[in-house]
Amino acid sequence: MKMDDEALERAILNLPLEEPPHGLRASILLATAYRPAPAFSFFELAAVGSLGAIAVWLVVLLVLGGGSLFVHTVGTIGATLTRTLSNAAVLAWLAAGGATALWLTLFTGSHPVAAVSHRSESSAGR
Amino acid sequence: MRAQPADGDLVALTLRGHSDAFATLVERYDRAVYHLAYRTLHDAEEARDVTQEAFFKAFRSLRTFKPDAKFSTWIFAIAYHACCDRLNRRRHFASEELPERADPAPGPESQAIALDEASRLRAAIDALPEKYRTVVTLFHLQGRQYEEIATVLGLPMGTVKTHLFRAKEQLRRLLGAMEVTES
Repeated sequence: MKMDDEALERAILNLPLEEPPHGLRASILLATAYRPAPAFSFFELAAVGSLGAIAVWLVVLLVLGGGSLFVHTVGTIGATLTRTLSNAAVLAWLAAGGATALWLTLFTGSHPVAAVSHRSESSAGR
Repeated sequence: MRAQPADGDLVALTLRGHSDAFATLVERYDRAVYHLAYRTLHDAEEARDVTQEAFFKAFRSLRTFKPDAKFSTWIFAIAYHACCDRLNRRRHFASEELPERADPAPGPESQAIALDEASRLRAAIDALPEKYRTVVTLFHLQGRQYEEIATVLGLPMGTVKTHLFRAKEQLRRLLGAMEVTES
């Protein structure tokens, strides 16, 4: 029996789809939408890493030069920070930079506050 | 009864942080994407990998999805390109040495033992050249939306229609040959 065009198209459209392997959907979801959030965010890791590096550096100073070098270095760092942060222009630039970064996150959809609320919302819903 | 949200709305919701929206998209299309990958590659393990890869890529580049596009076309295109990459790698590998295929496509002889109409048709589709087989598979998944099929394959719509026409001609011939062999 020769199928006409219409019958052949209907037969193709009525073919059942392949059965996907068991667990495929779960593995896709675990790799995408329901991927467990990392224990630490990038910024948390960067902050902890920086603090760790400073601590190591200070310990090295203590070991190499004794108390005086340590006190001198800490004093210099403190003075520089105080001088920088007491400058109104520097503070204004820092504020402008922070505000711009926050404003940009509104367009990229990665607003930190919104992301946190959605994350808690979806984990509560599951 | 509540209306099902459109794919575009689900994409927008996902971008706003609603993970469940993307889960709905996965539920809607994972079987179709797997079908496309399996029918193209004829290897269950590779089809599984391609399906995962396609959804992973889609999730990561969801921001590049154009709101006026169809999600199904987009995800099929991602999956199809992943299949092409694998087929190219396979061909490259085959030119160096002949690999054992884990799940080879049935040969014309075994296809002749098809039992019912659907499996006969499926065997005939499997026997088509790759370019025709893919068009038929996408026609199966997307219906008569030739423009969408053309977008997935990156081919002009005229070429898609020609491929489909020739594929149907060959299918009719193959189905006829199978009937003769069976009787």
